[in-house]
Amino acid sequence: MNASAHPADIRPSYGAAAVAAVAILAMYVATLAPSTAMWDASEYITAAYTLGIPHPPGNPLFVLLGRVASLVPVGEVAYRINLLAAVSSAAAAGIWFLVVERVLAHTITRRWVQLTGGALAALLSATAFTVWNQSVVNEKVYTVSLAFFAVVSWLTVRWCDDPDGRKADRILVLIAYLIGLGYANHPAGFLVGPAVAVAVLVRRPRTLVRWRLIVAALVALVLGLTPFAVEPIRAAHHPALNEGEPTGCTDKIGFACTFSDTTVKRLMANINRDQYGKPNLSERQAPFTAQVGMWWLYFKWQWLRDPHGTQSALQAALAVLFLTLGIGGGVEHWRRDRASFWFFGPLILTVTLALVYYMNFKYGASQAPELADVAREVRDRDYFYLWSFSAWSVWAALGLVGVWRLLAERMGTATRWAASAPVLLLGVLPLVGNWRSASRAGEWATREWAHDVLNSVEPYGVLVTGGDNDTFPLWYAQEVEGVRRDVTVAVTSLLNTDWYARGLIRRPIYAYDQARGPAMYRGRAWPMPKTPVLTLSVAELNAVPEYIQVQEPQLFQHATMRAIVDPRRLEFGVPLRSDLLVLQMLKDNMGVRPFYISRTTASYAQALGLDAYALVQGLVTKIATTTISASPDTVAISGVGHLDLGRTVSLWDAYRAPAAIIRRGDWVDRPSAGIPALYTNTALLLGEGLDRKGRSADAQRVRQAGVNVAEAAHVLEWFTGPSPSAPPPAVSNDAPKSTPIPIRP
Amino acid sequence: MSSSPSRAVRSAHVVRALAAASLLVGYLDLVRGGVTLAPLLLVAGYVVLVPIALLAD
Repeated sequence: MNASAHPADIRPSYGAAAVAAVAILAMYVATLAPSTAMWDASEYITAAYTLGIPHPPGNPLFVLLGRVASLVPVGEVAYRINLLAAVSSAAAAGIWFLVVERVLAHTITRRWVQLTGGALAALLSATAFTVWNQSVVNEKVYTVSLAFFAVVSWLTVRWCDDPDGRKADRILVLIAYLIGLGYANHPAGFLVGPAVAVAVLVRRPRTLVRWRLIVAALVALVLGLTPFAVEPIRAAHHPALNEGEPTGCTDKIGFACTFSDTTVKRLMANINRDQYGKPNLSERQAPFTAQVGMWWLYFKWQWLRDPHGTQSALQAALAVLFLTLGIGGGVEHWRRDRASFWFFGPLILTVTLALVYYMNFKYGASQAPELADVAREVRDRDYFYLWSFSAWSVWAALGLVGVWRLLAERMGTATRWAASAPVLLLGVLPLVGNWRSASRAGEWATREWAHDVLNSVEPYGVLVTGGDNDTFPLWYAQEVEGVRRDVTVAVTSLLNTDWYARGLIRRPIYAYDQARGPAMYRGRAWPMPKTPVLTLSVAELNAVPEYIQVQEPQLFQHATMRAIVDPRRLEFGVPLRSDLLVLQMLKDNMGVRPFYISRTTASYAQALGLDAYALVQGLVTKIATTTISASPDTVAISGVGHLDLGRTVSLWDAYRAPAAIIRRGDWVDRPSAGIPALYTNTALLLGEGLDRKGRSADAQRVRQAGVNVAEAAHVLEWFTGPSPSAPPPAVSNDAPKSTPIPIRP
Repeated sequence: MSSSPSRAVRSAHVVRALAAASLLVGYLDLVRGGVTLAPLLLVAGYVVLVPIALLAD
């Protein structure tokens, strides 16, 4: 390779990049999740499998890609869609290989040095914690987005090489198309746009006055956005997952209802993510310095994820090292390849400081734990900076090659490059340091959790849940694996929207499969309900207010049940639409369906004044039709209420997640650690109940299992120590679902 | 040598026609309620054929 060759004449090593991508893919496959995971993984896998609509903006391109991936006959459905994430990220790593090789080719003549630089970029970008962890389960749409990000980057770098070349205009039009198509996967598709604009402005400013090219690019951009048409079409078929219900069709698809004002309004609300109601950018949700601090926290995770804070100093040192290497890489980029720098520099700025400003997050879930009274994100948002860490790795690789070159120049021997190569081992550190925490190999806990919760509910039961992690995995189990579809899951956060309850009414009543159900429900008849879970008409449903401005206790009375609903015990101090609908469901299903509230909702049954009717059965609380009292099989436990001992023993013995958690031996995602804690909490409750009945040996066995779960998930300190505190609620809402929530009076 | 450009033009037309057909049939199947052929055709159209068509001379 001649360093003085015209940039357009440099032949990229597509073969070597492909080899690097395949090697990365092999690493991802070795650490790939065999099934689903917490947070949005189950939602997206279910959406892809059912060709449904996940939460706004609906991600139609991802749903199409995921559906195609689900058809590939390898492993189970979740595994196939997880593979899509792995392939996407591996492709991005291969492209970063090309970018770095390309930059180095300007000034370094040794081909093997260029290739080594490319390999470093592939390795670092693939093993940065968040990239890796998101690439081994399809938790979000971000890995597909990363692939688009990388492809557009490569096309722009190539355009920068030869902006007057034969294909230059076509490349620009293709870039515009891919940016639109990327947006149809996720709005982050536009992230690369400003950097492309800067590159074009710097390299060929007159491009902006070539109106035919501009029009062609705009048409291509719009063409790329057309997958959004999939949303109203699929919504009109009312798939199992139909978030936002972006259709005016109530029964079946038709021309008039599809091209109606209602469809347009709902589709635009979905695309614009109206449901989230984010504040104006001028209203900062946390100080900008704290928001940059959040980015820095997650940046530190990339090079050594230390989930339990045992290697903080090493983690900080590595973060400083890779920050310095990245800055050095940026300088190298500027000095060696100015043309592509004018794209990549603005790109880095966009996905770091500009993105931090735009996302406008509250304090991170794991950030500054010493600050007690600040508003926090419900989970860690490192995945929103996936592009940031991936792109930074490109510069870190360039920086490391720069250090390598400096060392080689100082040696002054014939074999100086080879002799100074050991410095490149720094690039292997994230691979080694992140392997255990990023890997999701053998992670079955979420799937087992979903089975455990569903099987805690008697046939045809209604289960009220609270947020993401007690809901999405159940959707996955029901709609993808076909497990316990007879159970109706009603999540309170979505009951506050206008569309979710309509879907509940529309949901078919599925027959209970006795043969596949738990042994404890066999040997008796379970009559199949004939009425929907809510008896309201759609018009009545639409008339349910967002909340009722009452502050005095209200009497809820139906048949044998009398409950005092005290608004002061409710989360927002007034009954919300979700509370009203839960009570309506309770009324509609009394004597028709067993009614449950997930214990992940902490004290929701108590907040509704249902204490006297609440009976804990394993992971759920059954709401009985008459008041509960102590009996040989029912134990009153202070601060909890009544525990159904026999049922809970049977359920505990059938639960499969505890063994899965113990096998995994860690729970890296701390904001969802309430799930394993709930198992421990259940074991301790059950142990107390068994002790009361004189079954000490059984009590000890169950308690020990609970402690084993707590140790594996690193939540034992929540139950021990001088002043053990109750575990936090096992789930929280990932705000979407930001629906109309009144100000607490 | 003289046949190459015309062959390239023909190929470009074929790719464009395939892209358009893939998207059209994909959407028609989607409207019908298809969940297998529709996504296959739409992905082929959007992700493979349209980009090739845009680059083709």
